[in-house]
Amino acid sequence: MFRTILHMAYRNAFLRKSRAILLVLMIGLSMGVMVGLEGLYDGMSIHMIDKTMRSDSGNLSLFAKKYRLENDIKYHIDNANEKVDTIRKLREVRYALWRIETSGLAQTARKSKPAKLIGIDIEDEKRFGKFDEFFKEGKPDFGRNGVFVGNELAKKLKLHIGSKVIFTTQDSRLEIQSVALKVKAILHTTNINLDERALFLPRERLNTLLALPKNTATQIAVMSTTNDVPLLQKQIQTLFPKLDVKRFVELYPQLKQMQDLMSIFNQITFFIVMVVVFIGILGVMYVSILDRIREFGILLSIGYAYRNIRLQVLTEALFLGLTGYLLGVLLGLAFLGYLTYYGLDLSIFAEGMSTFGLDSTIYATIKTGYFVSTFFAIIIASLLSIILPLRKLKKLNPIEVIRNSQ
Amino acid sequence: MIKLIDVNKYFYRGEAREVHALHNINLTIEEGEFTVVSGPSGCGKTTLLNAIGVLDSISEGELWLEGREIAQLSAEEKTEIRLKEMGFVFQAYNLVPVLNVEENIGFIMRLQGYEEEKIKERVLEVAKILKIDDKLDALPNLLSGGQQQRVAVARAVASKPKIILADEPTANLDSRNSMTLMEMMRELNSREKITILFSSHDDYVIQNARRIILLEDGEIISS
Repeated sequence: MFRTILHMAYRNAFLRKSRAILLVLMIGLSMGVMVGLEGLYDGMSIHMIDKTMRSDSGNLSLFAKKYRLENDIKYHIDNANEKVDTIRKLREVRYALWRIETSGLAQTARKSKPAKLIGIDIEDEKRFGKFDEFFKEGKPDFGRNGVFVGNELAKKLKLHIGSKVIFTTQDSRLEIQSVALKVKAILHTTNINLDERALFLPRERLNTLLALPKNTATQIAVMSTTNDVPLLQKQIQTLFPKLDVKRFVELYPQLKQMQDLMSIFNQITFFIVMVVVFIGILGVMYVSILDRIREFGILLSIGYAYRNIRLQVLTEALFLGLTGYLLGVLLGLAFLGYLTYYGLDLSIFAEGMSTFGLDSTIYATIKTGYFVSTFFAIIIASLLSIILPLRKLKKLNPIEVIRNSQ
Repeated sequence: MIKLIDVNKYFYRGEAREVHALHNINLTIEEGEFTVVSGPSGCGKTTLLNAIGVLDSISEGELWLEGREIAQLSAEEKTEIRLKEMGFVFQAYNLVPVLNVEENIGFIMRLQGYEEEKIKERVLEVAKILKIDDKLDALPNLLSGGQQQRVAVARAVASKPKIILADEPTANLDSRNSMTLMEMMRELNSREKITILFSSHDDYVIQNARRIILLEDGEIISS
C-alpha cells in the first residue's frame, strides 16, 4: 500500500510542472544562497581566528604571572627553551615556540608611532604557523640589522623595503636603548594587533638589546592537535604552576564574540530562508489540495483512510521540499566550492576591511552541518506546511464532494 | 445480507429540519441479489445508496450489514467496511486522475495489501471481461465516458467485494454503452455472486434487474 501512496504522491507532486519547478527553484536558489552566506560568514571568522592563532597565540599561550597586566619585561619566562622542549613532548601538542616582546617607540626621520618589538625565530614561526604566508613584500630573511614590519604600521610610518627605522625601548635594567633597523619585509597577518603595531627581529638580538639572558621569553605559544584544549591547558598548567596558561578565547574574546555574531547572522539567515521555504511549500500544497478536493472525496468514499491521505500529502510535500533541497545542495556546493577556491574579492573595500583585520578576499568554508541542518529544517518545514491543508481535508465530507461533482 | 429497519434520514439547514429524505424504510437485500432502486429524481435513491454504502449516516432506525449494526461502528471501521466489503460505481466515474487504467483497477486491491502478482492477474482478468485490456496504460482523461465507466466498474469488482453499489451508472452513457454495462454487471453478478445494488431511472436498467425497489418521496412504494 505504501508503494501506491508513494506513487500517487510523486505523480501529484509534479502534476503541475510549472508550479512544481517554480517551487523547487525557489527552495534550491534560496538554500544555495543561504549555504553560500553561511560558508562566507564562517569562513571569514574561521580565517581570522586561524591567522591570529598562527601569527600570535596558538591554541594556548603561557606568560609570566602579571606580565599581561603590567606588560613589563621584568615579568618574563626564564629558560624558555627547556620549557618549550617539555611542552613539545606532550602528545596533544603539534608545535610550541617562544617569543620575547617589548613595547617602545618606532621612529623614522619624519614620524614616530608607539609599537612593539617582537623577537622571533623564523624557522620556528614557519613550523608553528606558516609564517612565510604573511609576507606581503620582501623575504623571510633578517640579514644584518633586518626587521619585519606590520603592513599598517609600515603605512603609517611610510616604510618600504630598505627604509630605516629606529626602535627605542627600556631594557631590563631600566636603561633606555635604541636600535637602528632596516626594513627587510612587510607582513600582513590580518591580526590587527600585529599589523598596526609590530616589528619583528631575531629573538636573540632582542634579548641582548633588553639585557636579558639568551633564552628569556615573554610568551610561549602552543599549537595543539586536540580539540580538547581546556584539558591540555590544565595539563600544561600543572607542569608550570608559576605561569599563566591562557586559551585563545581568553586572549582574544572579541574574536570569539565575532564568531558568535557570525553564528547569529547565520541563524537569522537560516530562519528567514526556512520561513520562505515553509510559505512556498504551504502555498503550493494548499492550492494543490484545493484543486484536488474532489479526488480526495472520491478516495475517502472508496475506503482510502484519512491516515493514507495524510501520508500522501506529507510525501508530496517532502518530494517537493527534498527536490528543492537536492537542487540547493548542488547550487550550495557549487557556490561554496567557488568561494572556497577563488574567494570573494572585496578589494574595493580593502581599506575598511583591513581596519577590522580582514583580508580583502574572503574565502568560504564548507561544513557538512550546513546541509544536515537544512535537510532537517526542510523536513520540518514540509511537515508544518501540510497542517493547514490537512485540517481542510479532515473536515471533508466525501458525500458532499461526490454530490457536488455529479 | 443488508437489512434496514425503520430507517429515516433528515437533512437539516441550521437547526431546522429541511428535508425528510427517507421515510421509515424497511428493507432486506439478500446475498447475490441484483437489485435496482428506481424512482423519479429527488425521491431518495442516492440517499438510500449512500446510507447502505456507509458513506452517509442515518437519522433514525437501524442499518445492519453482514450482521453488524452500522451506527455502532467507528469512522475507521466504516472506512474499513467501504474498503474491504464494498465496491462503488459513481455516476461521474470518479477515477483517480494520476493513475492509469491498470493502477485504477488494482487500486483497492493494493490498499488491501494483495500481492502484486495476484493484482496484475486479477486486473487483466477483469479488464478482459470489461473489454478494456488494451487500455491498461492509458490515463483516465484519455478514455471515452463509456470506457471510464467500465474502468470504474472494473475497480469496483476487482477486489471481489461482497456488495457493489452503483449510483446512476448509466446516466452519462449512451444506450449502447448502457446495454454493454448492464450485460457485464449481470455476468459479474452470476459469475462472482456479488450483491449488486443500482440506483437508476433508466428503463433498460430497470428491465434487466431481478428485483426492483420503487421509491417515491423517500418511501418504498414497492419492492
